[in-house]
This record gives sequence, structure tokens and C-alpha cells, in this order.
Amino acid sequence: MSIQIENNLKNGDNPEIFEQRAHYLPCKIEVDGAANVEKYFEPYVVENENGELSATFRGHPLDGVNMSLPDGYRAILVTEAKKPLADDADRRFQVAGGFKEFVYWNWDKKPSKNDNIVKAFDWIDIAEAIHGD
Amino acid sequence: MVSLKTLEDYLRSKDNSKNFINCSEVPPICKSEPCMLGVDEAGRGPVLGPMVYGVAFCPLSQKAVLQSLGCADSKALTEDKRDEIFTKMLTESEPVQNVGWTAEIISPNYISNSMYRRAKHSLNEVSMNSAISLIKKVIEEGVNLAEIYVDTVGPPEKYQAKLLEIFPNIKITVAKKADSIYPIVSAASIVAKVTRDHALKVWSFKEGLDMDHTGFGSGYPGDPLTKKFIRDQVDNVFGYPLLVRFSWSTAELMLQEKAATCTFEDVEEVSPNKKAAGTKSISTFFSPKEDKRLRKRHKFFEERYLNVINAFE
Repeated sequence: MSIQIENNLKNGDNPEIFEQRAHYLPCKIEVDGAANVEKYFEPYVVENENGELSATFRGHPLDGVNMSLPDGYRAILVTEAKKPLADDADRRFQVAGGFKEFVYWNWDKKPSKNDNIVKAFDWIDIAEAIHGD
Repeated sequence: MVSLKTLEDYLRSKDNSKNFINCSEVPPICKSEPCMLGVDEAGRGPVLGPMVYGVAFCPLSQKAVLQSLGCADSKALTEDKRDEIFTKMLTESEPVQNVGWTAEIISPNYISNSMYRRAKHSLNEVSMNSAISLIKKVIEEGVNLAEIYVDTVGPPEKYQAKLLEIFPNIKITVAKKADSIYPIVSAASIVAKVTRDHALKVWSFKEGLDMDHTGFGSGYPGDPLTKKFIRDQVDNVFGYPLLVRFSWSTAELMLQEKAATCTFEDVEEVSPNKKAAGTKSISTFFSPKEDKRLRKRHKFFEERYLNVINAFE
């Protein structure tokens, strides 16, 4: 099977579509699709005088920090008009948007370099050292 | 604060996802003469809206002012009567010169967040901390406190011991139904109840919901309007607007049924039919061995929770 990703969005026309706000939440939400982030979540994001962020999700207190994607990386969001029925059929996705930075949230714990996502980004340097030219 | 209208304006001006305090001026007589202080709360049980802690204080010698205000068993008073007494406390010269009060509005978001912390805070702890901080505030403002009366729903003995430890020089009485026995507690109860009622009346949803208290009711789980609100206002991802106390079982159960399942990283609920981790059922010993030739990933990846996956499956 092959995976094709098409980008019909021109970078120049609408740069903000690739610079959307994104939130990385410390829980598994078993749903895929649109969410009322602007109405239900963002009104409660508060930054204190030390630049620390706080918010709340489903009654849980969250502590957050702004994070950028590693240099040379960007995030894209893709959609698929129709998933083929056969498992081995070719897949075709459309780029719907993207982001370069996001807010990382912990549940009732200040973000630190011990967080999994920070550790996971180590791989990018290691991969470069192993597989890079 | 001179009327219920100014109370409402004040409540409306505050961020309703946070706690805040509303208080009267301290009558000068309360700084010179020994005073009694009553503590009571309103809105402990409801699934919607803030819980309000109230304190009221006046000189021991001026107890008659409370009686003439009509501070009796507040549960027996109608909402209109409570509004009327509170208005007198704001406007009439005798009460203004003798009775001071303070209320802490504890937001539903603060309650949910406290109960859903990694180290859970119970509602009792939230309550006790609020009561203690209000008493401390009154003392800091120079009130000459001699006696404290507290209404409690829990066991009075522990609460009383704790307060005595913090305020060793004050006579402390903690009792169930104190608001029907001590007029000063009844005054505190009126402050709390009126504040909670009006906080609900002026509630505005940051979520942009166009609805007021005539839509969501009193907040008590038995109120048909509240029931309907809890049933109908579920957001699939976020659950509820922050008017709701997420940690109440009424809300929890409804979200389990109607909203997307949400699992937080560390929460491990031990259900009775779940086996302890690492315990295999006896039948696994008889089933064919799993293929153990799978390549084990290096610790580096394990520690970083890195896996090779196909996101498009």
C-alpha cells in the first residue's frame, strides 16, 4: 500500500493555516475530530507573572508551557475524504493545516525536562547522528 | 456595597472560574469590644455553581441587633426574607454600625480542580481552609474576637480541636445545625446563602452559552432544570462548562455515558474484577506459548515511550 499526501494549500496565501494554535493534553481522549477549544478551553488559559501557564480540562488542573517543534520540523494535520475498505488499498490524504509550536500541558505538575515529550525529542538529535550525512 | 444590585454588580465583575472575597467594612466598635463570630456555608451539595463561605461578627453586647434583624434559623427563611435581612445589613444604621461580614466565593472550577489533583483535596479540606482563612482575615483587620461559632455537617470534635489549635485564645463552639441555635451563625448563613443565590443569578458562561439560572436551576441534583442541564449540555470533548463541578458523581456518571472517554495518564482505578498487575489467569499456562522472537526495543526507546507505529491504521 502507498500513502499519498497532497498539499493544495499554498504557503503564501494563508500562512496562519500552518501556524495554528495546538494543545497537547495529558490524557487520552477517545475521539477524532473537531473540538470547541476556543470556547471551552482557551478562555481559561491563564499566564502568571512568571510566564507559567495554567488551565483546566474536565475538572483537572493543568500546568503548561509553550513549546516549539525541533528545528527543521513542522507539524501538519491531514484529512482523508474516504478511508478505503481494503486494508492494502492506497491511501490519499489532504493537508488541512499545521503548526510550528504548541502548548504542552501536564496534569497538576509543572512541565520540566523530565517530561516524556522532552525526552522523546532526544531522538531527533540521535537520529541525526546515526542516519544523517 | 449598598444594595443587592451592587452585590450583583460586584459578583458579575469577578472571574467566575476563580475564588474571590466580598466583605463589609469593619464596624469600629468591633475593634474595641469583644466580639463573637459565626461561620456557615451555602451550596455545599449542588452540582452547579460556587460554594460560599460566610462569616458574620458583632460585639457580644450587641446580640439584640441580630434578633431585631430576624437572624433565626436561616433554613426556615424564604429567599425573599434572606434578601431583605441582607439588605438591612447593608443599609440600616444599627446593623451597619455593629455587624460586619465577609464571604468567600469558592468557584466550581476550584472545587473540581481540588478534588482532581494528583493528591486529592476533599471538600472538607477545602471548606475548613476557607473557614480558617476567613477567621484569620477578620482578626488581621483588627476585630477583637472572643467567641467563634461554627456550623458543621461533619463530626464537630475534630473540627473544634483543629480550630482551637489555630486560635488558642478564642472560645470555640463547633456544632451541627449551629445556624438554628446561634443568631450570629444564622447571620453568617444568610450572608453565604444570599451571595450564592446571586452568584448563580449573574453567572455568565465564558463558553458562550446563552442561558441563565432560569435555564439551569438551583444546582441541586434533584432540581428538574439542573437535571436537564446536566443531561443536555454535554460537550463531547470538554464535558461541561465550568459552572459544573466535574467531581460530582452526577456529572461524572453523565460524562461516562455521553461524552468521549478520557483517561488521564496516572489514574489507575483498581476495580474489583481487575487482576493485580502481573497476575496471569490460570488458563494462560495451558495455552500455546507466545512467539518470543519479537525484537525487544532498546531501553532508550522504552524510557522515552517511543514506538514505531502506523498512524494511518
